[in-house]
Amino acid sequence: MTILTILLMAFVTYCTRIGGYWLLNGRHISLRTAKVMEVAPGCVLVAVLAPDFASGKGADLLALAVTALAATRCSLLVTVLVGVGSGWLLRQVIPF
Amino acid sequence: MNRQEAASFQPAAPQRAELWRGARAALPIMIGFVPFALVLGAQARLKQFSLLDVPLMTGLNFGGGSEFAAVGLWTSPPHIALIVGITFLVNSRHLLMGAALAPYLSRVPRRKVLCFLFFMCDETWALSLADARKHGFSLAYYMGVSLGLYLSWLVGTTIGAAIGPVLGDVTRYGFDMAFPAVFFVLLRGMWKGVYSALPWAVTLGVAITAYVLLPKGWYVPLGALSGALTAWVLAKP
Repeated sequence: MTILTILLMAFVTYCTRIGGYWLLNGRHISLRTAKVMEVAPGCVLVAVLAPDFASGKGADLLALAVTALAATRCSLLVTVLVGVGSGWLLRQVIPF
Repeated sequence: MNRQEAASFQPAAPQRAELWRGARAALPIMIGFVPFALVLGAQARLKQFSLLDVPLMTGLNFGGGSEFAAVGLWTSPPHIALIVGITFLVNSRHLLMGAALAPYLSRVPRRKVLCFLFFMCDETWALSLADARKHGFSLAYYMGVSLGLYLSWLVGTTIGAAIGPVLGDVTRYGFDMAFPAVFFVLLRGMWKGVYSALPWAVTLGVAITAYVLLPKGWYVPLGALSGALTAWVLAKP
């Protein structure tokens, strides 16, 4: 059962990976569609982050704000360190 | 992104150099993957995955978000339809991503593309597209990023599965913040001023609401779709 579920997961995931290419390759894409596709990946990333924002914990929200601020001006590695560091520190300091 | 721009790509550097350039670009994200991979592997073991099941899933499926959702919903035996449906919902974003990548792949043989697309994930896609806008699309660069991330994910989740319950609750140490940190940096690269600000804000609102009110798995497609819809309205000709 576990193996079968994993194989089916892999199959649908692969379908999503080739689906967009298969359906849209060689077709004209309008400027409007192109604009949407430029913005959409950011939308997906923001949506994936939603649970982090929905935790309802003050320390987590503050750490997210600090990390977002770091991301506007620092490299990825520094931002990750700021994120992990602020997450750890703020959870020690803020109990809610 | 238009067809001319996409078609004008030139293999500027030797393939091997491009492969390494991709792997180097992937390195910070590979490091960022490790804590997630460890957590996922460890959690999967707690849900009765065998040591081999974990790399089987992460190696064949290779989609972190869907794997976290699947492990979260896993029971023994698993509800196949539920898990597979959630996997599709979480990964439905690949459809849009693949479509955005398609113009850049128009000169690559289809059979090759179908192999390479197996490795497409959020980070690979974002890095390759950002790079394509600067230098033209490079398949070797894409594969360098892909292989780096794939290896990191596969090895990381396997180690996580091996050390399993010993790890305990890692959120205590703040490692879980590496995930949003990576995404914030990726979002900075995708920033398109007001054209992205409003759709992203709508996405966040809808996704949080959906996450709180609806079953797991709905917040990603609903949030992303509402954001795309907002962008569609904003881009009215």
